[in-house]
Amino acid sequence: MTKLSEGTIEALSNGTSVSDAVLQLVNIRKLDGGNGPSRFRVMMSDGRHTLSSFMLSTQLNHMAEENILAPNCICNLKRHVTNILKDGRRVVIILEIDVIKPAKDVAGRIGDPTPYTEGQSKGPQSAPVPENRPPLQPQNRNEAVNRGLNRDFGKKAPSVMPNTPGGSSKVVPIASLNPYQSKWTIRARVTNKGSIRTWSNSRGDGKLFSMEIVDESGEIRVTGFNQEVDKFYSLIEAGKVYYISKGSLKLANKQYTSVKNDYEMTLNGESTIIPCEDSCDVPMVQCDFVSIGDLENRDKDAIVDVIGVCKSVDDISRLTTKSNREVSKRTLSLMDMSGKVVTVTLWGEEAEKFDGSSQPVVAIKGAKLSDFGGRSLSASFSSTLMINPDIPEAYKLRGWYDKEGHAMDGQSLTEVKGGSGGGNTNWKSLSDVKTEHLGHGDKADYYTCVATIVFLRKENCLYQACPSQDCNKKVVDQQNGMFRCEKCDKEFPNFKYRLILSANIADYGDNQWVTCFQESAEAILGQNAAYLGQLKDSNEAAFDEVFQHANFNTFVFRNRVKLETYNDESRIKATVMDVKPVDHKEYSKRLILNIRKLAANH
Amino acid sequence: MASLLDASKPRINCSMLSQHIGRGVCFVGRVEKVHPTGKTFSVSDGEGKSATVELNEPLEEELSGIVEVIGMVSSKGVITTTTYNILREDKGIPFDLELYNEALKVIHDFPQYYPFEVAASG
Repeated sequence: MTKLSEGTIEALSNGTSVSDAVLQLVNIRKLDGGNGPSRFRVMMSDGRHTLSSFMLSTQLNHMAEENILAPNCICNLKRHVTNILKDGRRVVIILEIDVIKPAKDVAGRIGDPTPYTEGQSKGPQSAPVPENRPPLQPQNRNEAVNRGLNRDFGKKAPSVMPNTPGGSSKVVPIASLNPYQSKWTIRARVTNKGSIRTWSNSRGDGKLFSMEIVDESGEIRVTGFNQEVDKFYSLIEAGKVYYISKGSLKLANKQYTSVKNDYEMTLNGESTIIPCEDSCDVPMVQCDFVSIGDLENRDKDAIVDVIGVCKSVDDISRLTTKSNREVSKRTLSLMDMSGKVVTVTLWGEEAEKFDGSSQPVVAIKGAKLSDFGGRSLSASFSSTLMINPDIPEAYKLRGWYDKEGHAMDGQSLTEVKGGSGGGNTNWKSLSDVKTEHLGHGDKADYYTCVATIVFLRKENCLYQACPSQDCNKKVVDQQNGMFRCEKCDKEFPNFKYRLILSANIADYGDNQWVTCFQESAEAILGQNAAYLGQLKDSNEAAFDEVFQHANFNTFVFRNRVKLETYNDESRIKATVMDVKPVDHKEYSKRLILNIRKLAANH
Repeated sequence: MASLLDASKPRINCSMLSQHIGRGVCFVGRVEKVHPTGKTFSVSDGEGKSATVELNEPLEEELSGIVEVIGMVSSKGVITTTTYNILREDKGIPFDLELYNEALKVIHDFPQYYPFEVAASG
C-alpha cells in the first residue's frame, strides 16, 4: 500500500509549504461559478487528516474533466499556493499534481483520516515538515488582509504592516492605498492596458504607459515612465493578476479617467510586479454604469461607463486628421433599458475589429461624453471596450432586449445626420420650431426641415480669413499689403475668403432667418468661397447671378437653434449645420405616413 | 378632344377606371405589352393591375418603362390616348410606382384637401 505523507494536511493548514507530498484524493466536486471557467474543489487526505479546502487551478481542470483525478486515487502534490481568504480560512491551490496510482487501482480510503480543524495537533509529526518559513516568494505567501489597517486616507501614522521575518509583505486592498505608506503589496487584475506613448518636448523625450487595475476593494490607475516602461510593459497582460508593491501614490487627475479612486499610482525604481498564479477571487472589472437616459444630465466631457445593446452599427469610414494621419472610425447606436439610444464612436483598431452583427451587448468603461448632436459617446484611447462581457448587467440587458427591447425604436440622444428618415431624425416644420419654442432651453436644439430659400443676403457674405490651415479668424487689413491674424499673432501677405451667409428660408407655414457657414453656404450657392470672392471683386454681374440662381431652391436643412442674449436682448439664433437635396421618395413616404396617422387619430 | 386637356384630369389607377367612364383621366403605369400594330398596349399600375391603352396613330418609337397617359376612359374601360409622356428613369432616380399609388390613394381619400376640380375650372 502506498504510503501517504502524514502530517501534510496539518502543515498546509498552518501555512507551511510542502512539496512532493503523497496524498489521497477523497472527493472532487465541480463548482459552477457562472463567471469564467468552472472550478473544482478537492478534498485530500494524508492518512491522518482530511482537508476539503483544496482548489484545482484552472489549468488543471482537464484532469478533473477527464476523470484522471477521481475519488481514491493517490497523488503527488508537487506544487501549490496557499491563499488566505477574507474570513481567515486557508485555501490550497493545486498548481501541479501527478496521479501516481489511479482510482481504479485503489481499494478504498487509506487509513482512518478525520477532518482537520485548526488548533489540532495529533502528536509528533512523522513527515518532515520544515520548521522555518520558506524564503519569500510572493506566490507562496500572502496573508490575511489586516483588518486593523486604517482605511482613512490622510493619516500620517507609520505603516501598520510590519514585515515578517521572512521579508514577506501583507497584501492590502487597493482602497487602502495612500501616499503616506510606501511598503505595501496589492494583488490586482489588469483591466485595461494602454499602449506606450512617447513625447518629445523642450525638456527632452520620454515614454509612458498607463493601466487600470482592480481588486475586491476597488480600482486604481497606474502609470509607468521611461525605465519602468522597459521593465514592466512586456510583462503585463490585460486580464491577468499581479502582485504589485511599492508604487508612489498621488492625487488623481480625474479629468482623464473614470477610475474611482482619489489617488493614482506611479511605478518607480523600487516597484515590483510579479505575476500571481491564482486569481479566482480577484474581480474582472469594476464599472459604475450610467443609464443612457441619464447621460443628458451629465456634463459634456465627462468620463462615464456605459452598457447597452448595440442596436445598429454603421460601416467603417476613414478620416484624415489635422496632422494628416489616416484614422478609421465607426459609429454604432447603443440602447439600454431606459429606452434611450446614444451614438458611440469607435476609433482605430477597435473600429476595424468591431462586429455589430447579432446585436451584442457592448460595455464601455471610461467613454467620453460629448455634446455633439446633443449627447454622444466616444471610446477614447483610455476606454475599455467589452463585447458581451461576462457580468450580470450584460445578462440582464440581453434578457430585456430579447423580450422587449428589440421591438422598440428607442429615442436617440444623438441628432443623426441625413434625410433617410431613419427613426432618429427630428423633423419639424418651421412653424413647429416657433410654437414648440425650440432653442429656448439651456441647451441648443436641433431639428431637420424641408424648406425653400426665399432670400439670400449677398452683402457682407464674404470675409477675409487667416490663410493658415486650421485658423479661420478674420484678419485685419494693415493697408500695406499685409494682413494680420491676432490669433496666430502673425502677418500674412494674403488671406483666404470664407463665407458667412445670411438667408431666409420658408415652408408652407412660416419662415426663418438662418446663418450658413462655409460648407453649407457653398452647397447652397453652388460655388466655393474663393471663386465667389474673386467674382465679387471682378465681375459684379456674375456675382449677382450666382445668388439669383441659388434663390428659391428647396433643400433639407438640419439646423441648430439657441436662444442667445446680447445686452439684455434675447434672440433665437439659427445656424445651418447641414444642407442636403430633398430625397423626394423619403419625403413622400413620410408625408403619406403622417397623413394616415392624422386620419387615424380622428 | 382639345377640350379634354382643359378640364381636370384626375390621376387614377385601374381600380378607379370604372368610376371615370366617359371622363378625362391621367394614368401613370408601367408598359407591359405593345401590340404588334403599335396602336394599343397594356400598362400595369402600382397595385399590379392592368389596363389597355389605345392610340390614334401607331407608335413611332420604342415604348417601355413608366409612361403617363392622358386620355378618356371608354365604356369598355380602355383609355383612348390624347397624349402621353415617357417618364425617363435614366437620370438615376427610378420611379417608385407603388409609392405613387399610395399618394394616389391619399388624393382620393381626402378630396377636400385636393380640390383639383376647382383649380381646373377656375
